[in-house]
Amino acid sequence: MSSNQYFNHEGPWSEATDSLMCTDTGDWRSKRPVVDKEKCIFCGFCAIYCPIQVMEMTADSCFEPDLDFCKGCGICAKECPKGAITMVSEGEFVS
Amino acid sequence: MAEKNKARLTKVLDYLKYDDPFSKGVSFCPGCGLELLLRFIPRVLGNDIIITGTPSCSAPVLLGQNKQSWHTLSYFGTLMTGAAANATGLVRYYKKAGIDNTVVCFNGDGTANDIGFGNLSGAAERNEPFIYICYDNEGYMNTGIQKSGTTPYGATTTTTPYGTVHKGKNLRRMNLGVKMAMNKIPYTATATLSDLEDLAKKLLKAKKAKERGFCFLHVFAPCPTGWGANPADTIEICRQAVKTNYFPLWEAENGKIRMTKTVKKPKPVSNYTKLMKKFNHMTEADLEILQEDVEYETCLLGGLSVLEAECQLPVSAQD
Ligand SMILES: Cc1ncc(C[n+]2csc(CCOP(=O)(O)OP(=O)(O)O)c2C)c(N)n1
Ligand code: SF4
Ligand code: SF4
Ligand code: SF4
Repeated sequence: MSSNQYFNHEGPWSEATDSLMCTDTGDWRSKRPVVDKEKCIFCGFCAIYCPIQVMEMTADSCFEPDLDFCKGCGICAKECPKGAITMVSEGEFVS
Repeated sequence: MAEKNKARLTKVLDYLKYDDPFSKGVSFCPGCGLELLLRFIPRVLGNDIIITGTPSCSAPVLLGQNKQSWHTLSYFGTLMTGAAANATGLVRYYKKAGIDNTVVCFNGDGTANDIGFGNLSGAAERNEPFIYICYDNEGYMNTGIQKSGTTPYGATTTTTPYGTVHKGKNLRRMNLGVKMAMNKIPYTATATLSDLEDLAKKLLKAKKAKERGFCFLHVFAPCPTGWGANPADTIEICRQAVKTNYFPLWEAENGKIRMTKTVKKPKPVSNYTKLMKKFNHMTEADLEILQEDVEYETCLLGGLSVLEAECQLPVSAQD
């Protein structure tokens, strides 16, 4: 369980010095969503339907997953109306 | 990027007014409908809501572990047998203390429809001012996918297996939403995850209506692990459940039912069942029984919405 760098407030059950618990759910993934920025029409469906809410808006009007936590469920790719997201095997990214 | 034809951002994002109080990496299965729902509720209702809930798939995350927490909401963990009774205690305490807030009693269908139904029913009768949300994954998922009262006809679970003797659940599913609406509580609604704007509106309506008393939301939330579905299909399953009338979307104020989404040409229920393995073994004849059950419920709902519009509630005009 990694210490969380994303929150710096405490939970109701935690000690004042503790941060929130956080699991590296990105490690679970066998496929990752890759967004084709040219195809993306910035509708936001991928963001609202992502169960863990990790599709983040980018400065150039697009959405990108936070790969530290994306579980690779594939909902975003399935729900994208433009087919702008492809699920690519993690093996492709091993250097 | 300049020439790109950008669409309007989905309206659903406008409803997400508050921060997500959950840690990013929490241990729900990939594609879990419950996780989407759980993150959605405080983003619409605010981070100051008080959540209570029972042992279930939601508990390991809501309750935290040892001295650490997965979220920053206030949470009160209760027994399955006493979910609504505990929420009653909380709202009464807050009322006495003069604190104005929203108590959300968040439970699975096993708690709501079966094990904790007695006190849910009692809270509805007494019209306690809180919001009860049942996320319906059609079974007791956390203890290993046993059947519950809302498990549909034919579905396989670990207690209704498919084999030479049994062919999945041989009983029909209970309609929890209608059961609660018939208590004439201020607000009852069904919702699902394919229609997030509808869900957000219903959450906000419930927050208002709880000033007048008990509110109940029945939210259809697929469980890919327990249903043998592809995690990527979670939203599609919800969509097909609505399109086939398997899970119709409606709301009821003081028991007066109104459809919030009318399906003009319902699709055959097989469009829904084919998306998951729990119905894999079903024959045409089995599917026909499920189809008839769906049609019966839809017909009943239609009848009720017409009747309720015509009838006047005789007692208590106190609202
Ligand atoms: C009175 C009682 N009976 C049984 C249990 C064991 N138990 C713990 S979690 C659970 C399943 C809860 O199912 P549900 O409420 O549908 O939530 P889900 O796991 O589906 O999210 C059960 C039966 C319990 N904690 N208390
Ligand atoms: S769903 Fe597809 S088109 Fe819409 S914002 Fe996401 S990637 Fe872009
Ligand atoms: S694959 Fe799943 S978890 Fe990852 S960004 Fe897409 S919807 Fe979210
Ligand atoms: S078992 Fe089902 S409800 Fe429970 S966390 Fe997994 S997908 Fe969600």
